[in-house]
Amino acid sequence: MRLELHRIFVRKLAFGAKTGVADGVLTIDKKELLSLVAEDERLGKNIDADLAMPGDSIRIVPVKDVVEPRWKIDGGKGQVFPGLLSDVETVGEGKTLVLTGAAVVTAGKIVRFQEGIIDMSGPGAEYTPYSQTCNVVLLLEPSDPGMDKHEYESACRGAGLKAAAYLARCCADVKADKVEAYTCANIKEAMWGHPGLPKVGYLYMLQTQGLLHDTYFYGVDVKKILPTVMSPLEAMDGAIVSGNCVSACDKNSTYVHQNNPVIAEMLRRHGRDFNFVTCIVTNENVTLADKRRSSSFATKLAAMLGLDGVIITEEGFGNPDADLVMNCWKAERLGVKTALLTDEYAGRDGASQSLADSCVEGDACVTAGNANEVIVLPPMKKVLGVLEEANVLAGGWKDSALPGVPKDSVAADGSVTVELQAITGSTSELGYTKLGAKTI
Amino acid sequence: MVKEIERKLPVVHVCTIVPISLTVGANRIVPAIAIPHPLGDPTKTPEEEKAIRRHLVEKALKALQTAVTEQTVFTD
Repeated sequence: MRLELHRIFVRKLAFGAKTGVADGVLTIDKKELLSLVAEDERLGKNIDADLAMPGDSIRIVPVKDVVEPRWKIDGGKGQVFPGLLSDVETVGEGKTLVLTGAAVVTAGKIVRFQEGIIDMSGPGAEYTPYSQTCNVVLLLEPSDPGMDKHEYESACRGAGLKAAAYLARCCADVKADKVEAYTCANIKEAMWGHPGLPKVGYLYMLQTQGLLHDTYFYGVDVKKILPTVMSPLEAMDGAIVSGNCVSACDKNSTYVHQNNPVIAEMLRRHGRDFNFVTCIVTNENVTLADKRRSSSFATKLAAMLGLDGVIITEEGFGNPDADLVMNCWKAERLGVKTALLTDEYAGRDGASQSLADSCVEGDACVTAGNANEVIVLPPMKKVLGVLEEANVLAGGWKDSALPGVPKDSVAADGSVTVELQAITGSTSELGYTKLGAKTI
Repeated sequence: MVKEIERKLPVVHVCTIVPISLTVGANRIVPAIAIPHPLGDPTKTPEEEKAIRRHLVEKALKALQTAVTEQTVFTD
């Protein structure tokens, strides 16, 4: 498999007469974009689009998903976001145009407590990677206020994918600023390749608890799959799409699936530090039998492939910690070493148990931070969306009687006091954050 | 909560994810149906659901009356 990413760097956004990119400026025909999104009759008449740039005094809330504009310009049978926006053909081959630095942000009330905040400047901006992208913000509403939430989520998800593909498609004739080529060997070549280097895989856990906690792989609801293998290049073409309404901090947006930093780093070090053989996609379901079946099956695949080790990333927290731990000890007992990437819910003082489950085999674990840490976000000049929603987000509160915090998350002056949990991508369990820690 | 109550009274933890219950140290564990519906199953009829519920509650009451010397999972 060979995939070229044709990157056009976007440094600025503007509304204009024709959608296209020139000299780092992505111009958007707002009317055309909105009429495309409005084709879905499940969306209401008052949908709107606005722009948010890094450094702007803008708060976006409530945020559902973030998507990077990509479009397949040549080669390969498949098109981006297969099984949802496009046909179901296999992706990960050919040439894909990427509007690097741009993003589509879908915003609007869905599950309410499981959307998030993006601040484009100030202290909150440090905690979300989407303060660094030039954001085309879609402000969505359902055509019927009583619409079933699953229907509305599906409409919002579709709107984000459609807008992202549209923006990149309109730039298909523009020469890329940079072309990156990625290749991925088949299993036979991978088995023989790089003798002496350990064979390593990536066990990619996806949130699939149902009740709007869903992820899609080639359009298939991942709670219904048995674990399977995937080329890392498929993820780059949007094979994995977030339909998730979970706490904003560790929801893996579609954007991070497209730009998974674990995959990027493993590809970079492939052939030098280890032999990156494959990704194994697995789920996080809601019955113990499902958790046992998927963890046994995923680790069996790792063992069948003769992997020496796997990196395991989690999505979400709480009962998915049990999936993480089962994946860990089952792999280890099959002779496959593990390194885990997760985050923590250790309480506002950091003194509580970080994960809901544990095992002695889990002795190599990386944390993306404590989601319960409280932060004060100063007022922004402009709010895209509905500020008061910060009171009902997971990580926000209303009528709190706890000492040391204001009664409500949203103050009269527009400042917001929340746990990091409420900030989109703040404790990304794929490690897609700006913040790190160092030992002193 | 299971641990705190058990300082004074014996407790049965009816829960879906048994490994977590074992990790936190519950002594009497009755496995439940699923995280969003521990004592029911929306794919069944109301009558079948009632039977599931009664079965689990009776199993929990029996577990409560059973002496244990170590962490015990009460399966059928």
